[in-house]
Amino acid sequence: MASCWWPWRWRRGCSWRPAARSPGPNSAGRAALYAPRAAAVAAAATVAVARAQMSYCNLMKSLTSAFRNMYGVSRFHHTTPVACCFSETLSGEKYTDPFKIGWRDLKGLYEDIRKELFISTAELREMSEYHFDGKGKAFRPIIVVLMARACNIHHNNARNVQASQRAIALIAEMIHTASLVHDDIIDDASSRRGKHTVNKIWGEKKAVLAGDLILSAASIALARIGNTTVISILTQVIEDLVRGEFLQLGSKENENERFAHYLEKTFKKTASLIANSCKAVSVLGCPDPAVHEIAYQYGKNVGIAFQLIDDVLDFTSCSEQMGKPTSADLKLGLATGPVLFACQQFPEMNAMIMRRFGSPGDVDRALQYVLQSDGVQQTTYLAQRYCHKAVSEISKLRPSPERDALIQLSEMVLTRDK
Amino acid sequence: MSLRQLLLRLPRYLGASGPLRGPLDTISSVISCRGQSSRSPAQWNQVVSEAEKIVGYPTSFMSLRCLLSDELCNIAMQVRKLVGTQHPLLTTVRGLIHDRQNNLQLRGLVVLLISKAAGPNSVNASCQNYDMVSGIYSCQRSLAEITELIHTALLVHRGIVNLNELQSSDGPLKDMQFGNKIAILSGDFLLANACNGLALLQNTKVVELLASALMDLVQGVYYENSTLAKENRITDDIGISTWKEQTFLSHGALLAKSCQAAMELAKHDAEVQDMAFQYGKHMAMSHKINSDLLPFIKEKTGDSLTFNLNSAPVVLHQEFLGRDLWIKQIREAQEKGRLDYAKLRETIKAGKGVTSAIDLCRYHGNKALEALESFPPSEARTALENIVFAMTRFS
Repeated sequence: MASCWWPWRWRRGCSWRPAARSPGPNSAGRAALYAPRAAAVAAAATVAVARAQMSYCNLMKSLTSAFRNMYGVSRFHHTTPVACCFSETLSGEKYTDPFKIGWRDLKGLYEDIRKELFISTAELREMSEYHFDGKGKAFRPIIVVLMARACNIHHNNARNVQASQRAIALIAEMIHTASLVHDDIIDDASSRRGKHTVNKIWGEKKAVLAGDLILSAASIALARIGNTTVISILTQVIEDLVRGEFLQLGSKENENERFAHYLEKTFKKTASLIANSCKAVSVLGCPDPAVHEIAYQYGKNVGIAFQLIDDVLDFTSCSEQMGKPTSADLKLGLATGPVLFACQQFPEMNAMIMRRFGSPGDVDRALQYVLQSDGVQQTTYLAQRYCHKAVSEISKLRPSPERDALIQLSEMVLTRDK
Repeated sequence: MSLRQLLLRLPRYLGASGPLRGPLDTISSVISCRGQSSRSPAQWNQVVSEAEKIVGYPTSFMSLRCLLSDELCNIAMQVRKLVGTQHPLLTTVRGLIHDRQNNLQLRGLVVLLISKAAGPNSVNASCQNYDMVSGIYSCQRSLAEITELIHTALLVHRGIVNLNELQSSDGPLKDMQFGNKIAILSGDFLLANACNGLALLQNTKVVELLASALMDLVQGVYYENSTLAKENRITDDIGISTWKEQTFLSHGALLAKSCQAAMELAKHDAEVQDMAFQYGKHMAMSHKINSDLLPFIKEKTGDSLTFNLNSAPVVLHQEFLGRDLWIKQIREAQEKGRLDYAKLRETIKAGKGVTSAIDLCRYHGNKALEALESFPPSEARTALENIVFAMTRFS
């Protein structure tokens, strides 16, 4: 998907050079990500360029400044007619909330997860159950059950969700939470989702064990599904999560490598879980490998877009008390999308990136650079491209309310504000 | 670089390769379940090296293949930064290297031996397509590695420190934070490799067994931690039966379920699986009690001056004496708030705790031998018996 690279490369005015990368979990997907597809890019761009008589990048700039609301821009690019979530469509179809559709199958999700964590050691159980209080949005389980239905309908019009597919939703949420618990210790975080972290309440020693416990419970649930393919798919996620953390520990000297490194880390830490959970439910629901690939690609692209927007929000959303962006990533020494784009305009950021914003004043200076640059817009644009890819993949499935809900969901990823 | 060279280099990075002298002796006592019997180490080594010949290759470098990766270089570099700090991860890693240099990956060895002792399933022919080397299927060898990976992962995770309990003697906060970070990531890395290995076995029952063993182990470590926390103060009032339950979780479950899983891989029936489970469980229990007894049996008092107040002889001693008397004895052994271990040790030796612990050790040893009786006589079975004998010899 060279179109993701495109605004960056265009700006640099250099010829395309594929980034050297070690083999990833899904080589087909990764080739699609990094291989140049000039034809596809050109097709999308020529229309706009011909009309506007200006370079595509400048066109994008004028559009993003004219349409503050990103929703407006994305509608410009859409080729498939789709129900937009922020107004009623022209056809007058009633708009439905993907979360509502998904939750029909997820009633009792958190109770069922707590059942898996039922052990006799009271405090350990309490720690493990802590994040499964029913207050999360359950974004990943929603995608999983919607994908399950969409695949089942596509395969043979089956209008139900298998028990094993629902189990995947639980397992995905458990793996995600286990990694969050460990990440919070690693980042020495004090709060998550509006409450204290496990490590702050019970200490680091016990928090590590809580994370391990959730992981073991997820593995037991996974084994009980009884499908060795599905086990292989999801254990890959566990490995990717760890490797993603390791990627975050290291940093790349070379500017060119940094972006590839950032996208790889984003895939491993965020998108892999969503992509592989989608693939797992499609395997359970449908024997066609083409469908598995569609599910995987949808999950992967939505996952990357989700993380990119998350990285943008770190700069644009305001913390309640401070009235200014939280810059949590900068404080952790992480150079995310907006920073990497901003660095092209302000090369003096390179030194700060290399020392991981460790010197006093670095975080504030970097924040200023980013806000002055178009880093946020560029990252958002990139997220849009990933969403469009996700939509085009999922559109290959037979129409269904769940398939449309998934399309809406990818839109919502772009327009969320927290 | 071969595995051997890699391992030989690591101690230099870490600046030590002798007996453990970590500042947190409690950690070292937990991981000192090193299978050294009260007899000379030479005899133990002999038992182990005989066993290794039987299973066909030295087991000391098992489970390290996953470490020949970018992540190991990363981990090694990061751990190196910890040299000079007080983080327990350093002690753990030194201990692991010490183990491997002395052929002490006991769990893996036992899994391999029991696989060989059970042999192929004569009734069920579905395994005939698996390749077998020295009487052990490659999936069983893989399982042995996975067992070691899980054990090592939790060993590493035990070494996390609570940041709000640090004192100035522990050194800078950021060193401890960094050490925690590396410890979590390394442990997670090992667990991820274990999970991948399990997936490759293509057997969902085995995955379930090992995952539940992991769950047991996590609970066991939790109990260990809560008793360690009270090291210098009065210990919890747990009786020997609670101690046995907790020790099964922290030491027995992994080996027991792993042995059972090895039988499942060869498609042995439920009875054989149960016997393997019983061997693993009782052997692990006697192993733990044996290492708990070391501070009380060894004549030279230079080594291991401290001992775990939650070890078998101490728990038994407390049970005989009753809670109040035990608390009184601890108070008497305290000088200015610090526990005089040598004095307390003498007190315990004077009681019945040590002899009952020896009896308990032998009890579990006998149960393990009983379980072995249902396996056909073979070199491998003899090696498993010899391991039990080495654990239970105290004279």
